[in-house]
Amino acid sequence: MNGVLIGRKDVEAFLIDEASYLDDGKFSEWLDLFTEDASYWIPSNKDHYDPNTHVSIIYDDKERLGERVWRLQSGLAYGQDPQSKTRHLITNIRVLGQDDQAIIVSSNFIIVELRRSIQTIYSGRFEHKLRINGNSWKIASKKVELINNNEFIGNLSFLL
Amino acid sequence: MKLKMETLNISDLVKTGAVHGDVYKDEAIFEKEMKKIFENTWVYVAHESEIANAGDYKTTVLGTNPVIVTRDSDTEEIHVVLNRCRHRAATVCQQEQGNANYFRCAYHGWTYSNNGDLTGMPFQDGYDEKFDRCKMGLIKVPKVGVYQGFIFASLSEDVPSLEDYLGHARKYIDYVVSTGPEGIALNAGVHKYSFDGNWKLQVENTIDPYHLSVTHRSFFNLVANKTGKRINFSKMHKNEKIRDLGNGHSLYELDGDLGIGALPFNLIIFPNLGFVGSQVRVTRPISVNKTYVSLYPIMLKGVSIEENASRLRKHEGFYGPAGFGTVDDLEVGFDRVMEGLNARVNGAEWLEISRGMNREEIDENGIITATSSDEVSARSLYKEWRRLMVKE
Repeated sequence: MNGVLIGRKDVEAFLIDEASYLDDGKFSEWLDLFTEDASYWIPSNKDHYDPNTHVSIIYDDKERLGERVWRLQSGLAYGQDPQSKTRHLITNIRVLGQDDQAIIVSSNFIIVELRRSIQTIYSGRFEHKLRINGNSWKIASKKVELINNNEFIGNLSFLL
Repeated sequence: MKLKMETLNISDLVKTGAVHGDVYKDEAIFEKEMKKIFENTWVYVAHESEIANAGDYKTTVLGTNPVIVTRDSDTEEIHVVLNRCRHRAATVCQQEQGNANYFRCAYHGWTYSNNGDLTGMPFQDGYDEKFDRCKMGLIKVPKVGVYQGFIFASLSEDVPSLEDYLGHARKYIDYVVSTGPEGIALNAGVHKYSFDGNWKLQVENTIDPYHLSVTHRSFFNLVANKTGKRINFSKMHKNEKIRDLGNGHSLYELDGDLGIGALPFNLIIFPNLGFVGSQVRVTRPISVNKTYVSLYPIMLKGVSIEENASRLRKHEGFYGPAGFGTVDDLEVGFDRVMEGLNARVNGAEWLEISRGMNREEIDENGIITATSSDEVSARSLYKEWRRLMVKE
């Protein structure tokens, strides 16, 4: 893909596949999408800050993300017993920047979560940094800017 | 669910080693708690680092009363005033935090200085000399106290001094503050979560080591897999103490590092403040079955960014809306308990808090102590709860 501009359509299929892993409970496959130096970040209170000086809802490196997935598959993660059913809807996809190695993609999302008979809507903006990996991509970073990240929020033990 | 006052007295809801399920479910009891506890004793409202400069303010609640905690623009004195315009009741301050010399009500324009005094309103001709402007400032919360930077307020004047109220808990707050070479600050944001359950479930859960090896087994399995060291909980509980510090406050002394934070103890300051892991925990009752919880990571002043960052990462690992520990407490400790409390017939009305009553010890200061799997903390909480709830 060297030198070829990547368009919205090219990354849309990737984002939809990623979301389908989450909605279908294929968490190991989802984890495999991330690079070894990846970060998975859900900011708290506001969208933009240095996570070394401000707390985050999640600021996982690959190791902790692996632990998160391990826990969900351990049968002991009570926060997910009963398990959340989710549907991710992804839209407003924009390519914010790219070079030979990576592409930065912004998208809006609605996640509908059903747990304990309560249906909850989460919405916000994803920002993915995707690194070229053969004919596809790996996720070098995923940021989840929840519009309600400064509200008193419910149990976020499912994967966004 | 309405209180069956005719059949059950408040004083009967707590008995030796047991508490009645209605204390978590009954709306009338909740209303009484707001009056008898949250409007009648010292309640934590803010930390000085949140209003560090003249004119800084923070909005919060005292029970269910919205208040503004301000640092006077002129004197730097701390005031706590009700966030309610004296004219037609609109809140005069909308932001969580900020800096302002004045609060101007956006409804009819009544304006107050940040110490609460009424400074003016548009078209003053409608009020004659009988209208005493000096008495129409934002209503001041009568008692405000600061201990080691922690700001408390009481709507009742009939309370002991803050120092006496904190009593045996003071030296542990002193310790928290001493962990930073130049003190501490709550300036790294906040984890906010809510649950559909009673506020006391969160306070009880703040010191309940008995549940750690069960509810949080997956977390401690992860730690064991990573470090190769498996915690022997049976041994741990025997080595650890819980202390009833009086006035509803209690302490859990940890034996070693559980991997969830820096403090060597958990501390409950009745009714709404906790120190856990590396955090200040504030529990806010919303209704009988809704609670907001705020976790403020404690940042050390005078250490490197890396050291504070590592405290944040450890805190996030266990705590917060997606932390491996908090989410399991939300489900097991709160959701399932609220559900189970609906069974309230044929002897199912009571919850057990008697564990370890047979091995309590009382030291020379009158502090009741037992091992860390014992329910000393819950008993301490309900002793003070009952005292305030029946107080005339």
